[in-house]
Amino acid sequence: MMSFMGHQPQSQAVGYTFSQPTNAPNKEHSFYPYTDNGGSTLGITGADFAILAGDTRSVAGYNINSRYAPKVFKIGGDDDTGEGAHIILSVVGFAADGQALKERLDAVVKMYKYQHGKPMSVRACAQRLSTILYQKRFFPYYVHAILAGLDEEGKGALYSYDPVGSYEREQCRAAGSAASLIMPFLDNQVNFKNQYIPSSGDGHALEPKKPEPLPRETVEQLVRDAFTSAVERHIEVGDGLQMMVITQNGIEEIYTPLKKD
Amino acid sequence: MDKLVAQYSRPAHQNEMYSEQEQHDLTESLPPLSLKFNLPPVDNSRSWLRAMTDDHSNPSCPIKLAHGTTTLAFRFQGGIIVATDSRATAGNWIASQTVKKVIPVSRLSRGEDKANNAPTPGLLGTMAGGAADCQYWLRYLSQQCTLHEIRHKRRITVAAASKILANLTYAYKGYGLSMGTMLAGMTPQEGPALYYIDSDGTRLPGNLFCVGSGQTFAYGVLDANYRYDLTEEEALELGRRSILAAMHRDAYSGGFINLYHVKEEGWVHHGFDDMNPIFWKTKLEKGEFSNVTSEL
Amino acid sequence: MEVLLGITGKDFVLVAASKAAMRGPTILKAEDDKTRQLNKHSLMAFSGEAGDTVQFAEYIQANIQLYTMRNDTELGPNAVANFVRGELARSLRSRSPYTVNLLLAGVDGITQKPHLYWIDYLASLAPVPYAAHGYAQYYCLSTLDKHHHPDISLEEGLKLLEMCTDELKRRLPIDYKGVLVKVVTKDGVREVDFDNDKIVKSA
Repeated sequence: MMSFMGHQPQSQAVGYTFSQPTNAPNKEHSFYPYTDNGGSTLGITGADFAILAGDTRSVAGYNINSRYAPKVFKIGGDDDTGEGAHIILSVVGFAADGQALKERLDAVVKMYKYQHGKPMSVRACAQRLSTILYQKRFFPYYVHAILAGLDEEGKGALYSYDPVGSYEREQCRAAGSAASLIMPFLDNQVNFKNQYIPSSGDGHALEPKKPEPLPRETVEQLVRDAFTSAVERHIEVGDGLQMMVITQNGIEEIYTPLKKD
Repeated sequence: MDKLVAQYSRPAHQNEMYSEQEQHDLTESLPPLSLKFNLPPVDNSRSWLRAMTDDHSNPSCPIKLAHGTTTLAFRFQGGIIVATDSRATAGNWIASQTVKKVIPVSRLSRGEDKANNAPTPGLLGTMAGGAADCQYWLRYLSQQCTLHEIRHKRRITVAAASKILANLTYAYKGYGLSMGTMLAGMTPQEGPALYYIDSDGTRLPGNLFCVGSGQTFAYGVLDANYRYDLTEEEALELGRRSILAAMHRDAYSGGFINLYHVKEEGWVHHGFDDMNPIFWKTKLEKGEFSNVTSEL
Repeated sequence: MEVLLGITGKDFVLVAASKAAMRGPTILKAEDDKTRQLNKHSLMAFSGEAGDTVQFAEYIQANIQLYTMRNDTELGPNAVANFVRGELARSLRSRSPYTVNLLLAGVDGITQKPHLYWIDYLASLAPVPYAAHGYAQYYCLSTLDKHHHPDISLEEGLKLLEMCTDELKRRLPIDYKGVLVKVVTKDGVREVDFDNDKIVKSA
């Protein structure tokens, strides 16, 4: 891979060349190293847990290439099964970039543990993921990432990212092709947006309902509802639902089938 | 010919997953905020990046980046007011309504938003344009400011800090960075100081700036009522009202009003408040926004 | 870069239009009048494609006058606005549509209530308490949002207009050569003296 400081255009490095000068900007655009593998992910936090979920369908155009391609990964585990991990990452967009990003973050979190003799905090990992994404500011990873874990106080922590690394800690976030279907549902059901306390006042005096951390059973049901609904209205979502729940007891993985049409 | 040969004959180790340099970066304990960036393997990486990410010139671009919007800052006798909205958009999609567009540029350990109201020493930066660009480079600036503080045993001036950022954006001119930021701070040498820096490499000191797609609407309210001898109360209200004006007229601005006051001892946070109740309070109690009616 | 502004008050409508007639990089005339009086109680201000503007305005003016002559009755502001919109919409579906943005100010002869209509070149029509066309929209609407009240006097209206033109002088990079100000009241349309020579300092 090339890095910015050491980069020289090839034609300059060689000095002379027999090939045609490539000034035509149109030629540049034939370099298209991305594809959208579809699917959706979502994350919700509670008082002492965080959930990340994603469907397991992988598409290219209108073709379904796999019915079980996971989008949620354990980061910094001790072995291939991810045993001992305390951070989870979901990636949606271009699956190859997602895979590369996961590998890279996994390596970083492991190195941190070997060098410092303690696991990386979610806060530190969140900042590190941001810089990893930004390293490729001029050749971006085509992914929307969500990172989850438990913070220093044991509360659920969730961080969401854009493709080049801007990030924010949130209560809930949906990403991917069905984000526009799921996110409004989450706004209403998790952050209680546009919900008011009945008969608390007239007109503008009506009091908005204050959001509070939801219990785990409620959140799990919200995730299932969000995905079964998205499956009904989006062609790229379906097949299976992979959920990872992170608590102080570790990471629990739950798989539920979704419609396969 | 040489190019052809170069294209097809590559050293065997290039096929490995991580290059030697990358392995080194991974094992080093503190590599994160560096100036090394991956570039796509094409001759004109700038036009390629634009084709992939710029939704202005190419509305169907595959990678939609989050963009920030209305921000303002102005100097007055009591310090500097900094106010922003909180909406991030990717195309027409509202990516977030809770973005923190005021970024503390101070010793990294102090940058947290404290619950108590004690002033936090350091500068404030604002975010308009690419969210990631602003977050990353203002963090880089924090690092540089911290190093300055350690080396020289005194806080960096706003002039010097803004120059670091402006030199940086100028070095990357044409690479496709997108940021319009204001740096606000108060130092014993300078008093209240405010600078505007953008991704073209512009750096301007001034009394009053509004940046983002809602800038004109904010200027409309701010200019009409701005005086240097505003009281603290008046200044905070003017900042809040100017952001409200921009949220009302600019579709790319909205969400929450984020207000800060920079004083001698540091900055103080004055709330992150939902615009909706503030709008209706302003309309019903002061009779403003007479264009909004309930009749059909 | 033309400026059109309209503000309604208790019993009047103020209309301001920039005095510069621009073609490319040149100001051809610095005392241009971008308004036409349609009947005793209505005034139309226009901006847009050179040629189209005056042609369309005078066509409308002539037809409104013809209506008054034929029927010996004056059309009210609402009727005028809908007639103008209709004509613009009809032209939009022809081979060479008029590209004209309009503000229509009028006072109802019976109720004596002021009316202001905002019409753009795609013939959308909206009744509004205050309006602007062109770059003035970006700078003045927020000022008007804050300082406008429906029952202001003419004097307060002119103060408000001054706030708007001050802002334009401060922030617009070009010189639009001041504004021509007219007011519509129950007594008809008249020009108002307006100080365009005031120097505005930026903060």
